[in-house]
Amino acid sequence: MAPRATNPNFMNGVPELLVLRLLGQEEMYGYELVQAIHSRSGAVIAIGEGVVYPVLHALEREGALKSRRKTVQGRSRIYYSLTSQGSRRLADLSGAWMNLTAAIQTVLRGGQNGSAIL
Amino acid sequence: MGVLFSELRERLLRAGVAPRHVRRYLCELADHLADVAAEEERAGRGRAEAESAALLRLGAMDDLAKAMIEQRQFQSWTARAPWAAFGLAPLFFLATAWLAAFFILWSGWRIFLPGADTPFGGPNYGFANLYFQVGRAFYFGAPILIGWGIGVLAARQRRQPGWPILGAIPIALLAVTAQVRTSRTAVPGGLLGHVNLRFAFGSSAQPLSVGLYHTLLVFLLMVVIMLQPYFIWGSRRKFFAKLTLLGLFTGAAFRARPGS
Repeated sequence: MAPRATNPNFMNGVPELLVLRLLGQEEMYGYELVQAIHSRSGAVIAIGEGVVYPVLHALEREGALKSRRKTVQGRSRIYYSLTSQGSRRLADLSGAWMNLTAAIQTVLRGGQNGSAIL
Repeated sequence: MGVLFSELRERLLRAGVAPRHVRRYLCELADHLADVAAEEERAGRGRAEAESAALLRLGAMDDLAKAMIEQRQFQSWTARAPWAAFGLAPLFFLATAWLAAFFILWSGWRIFLPGADTPFGGPNYGFANLYFQVGRAFYFGAPILIGWGIGVLAARQRRQPGWPILGAIPIALLAVTAQVRTSRTAVPGGLLGHVNLRFAFGSSAQPLSVGLYHTLLVFLLMVVIMLQPYFIWGSRRKFFAKLTLLGLFTGAAFRARPGS
């Protein structure tokens, strides 16, 4: 059985951005979050499912997320949600990401900055 | 599954990730694995196939370990600053325990033996005796307990024996050379009583060579006693790791939360 393909290149900072964005909409536990990343990215973004937890733990430690244990259908789960600090971080990261993607698209289309950068 | 979690736990601990972060990571991974396996079963796979698919989706061992190890904030103090964890912290705890012991000795002397020249050989009955025994327990028990603490810490976090041995040596040396003296006349205004700590090899009543020999013997015995938890824990872990490899714990990760 082949593992689900992952795309590690160009992924620096992407899981963090996606986690913040999705948890900004609703609180989720790890499995839900991974499913949400998979489905809402149209299965384009695929990460090793387990590696989302260190990202979650790091963001929680930095104060961008908070967690609470909740028992659902007899199973105890750790739900994560965004803090106000996390919202600010999401805004910063989103802005930086938009600028970056706009710049890359400009280069790829051979726009006015393209020759200067290349 | 048990082997996967057991191996991952060992790799993370050896890389210096703090046990509490390892425990939480493994717990969440175990929950995730159970969820994915259930999803795969709902999709029509058999149990064994679903578990295999779940493991593949969870990620490769290297990726799972690397993702956690790269987060430097999850490193334990024994990995970040072993000199502080095994060197300074035990000395600080010993100093604190001995300070408490000396305060008990001094205050007991003032309260229960106001006229005596020394608190040693004081009352051996009632509350006064209990009071002095508490101080004595602090004084004699602290080095051993601190040594055990060093051993447990090192074993739990999979440190090599070098650091716990280095941590135990100064504590054992201080413990076997420390001598407590009390006096009412050693300092001006000595009516309050004076508790003095000094370090020496043996007593002044015996030749230096005999003192050195006794000190060395007790020192070695002390180091061995202090490091018992480290070696016992290590042997126990190796024993259970062998059982896991033999398959006796296979599937445990699905049924029980992985501990450390």
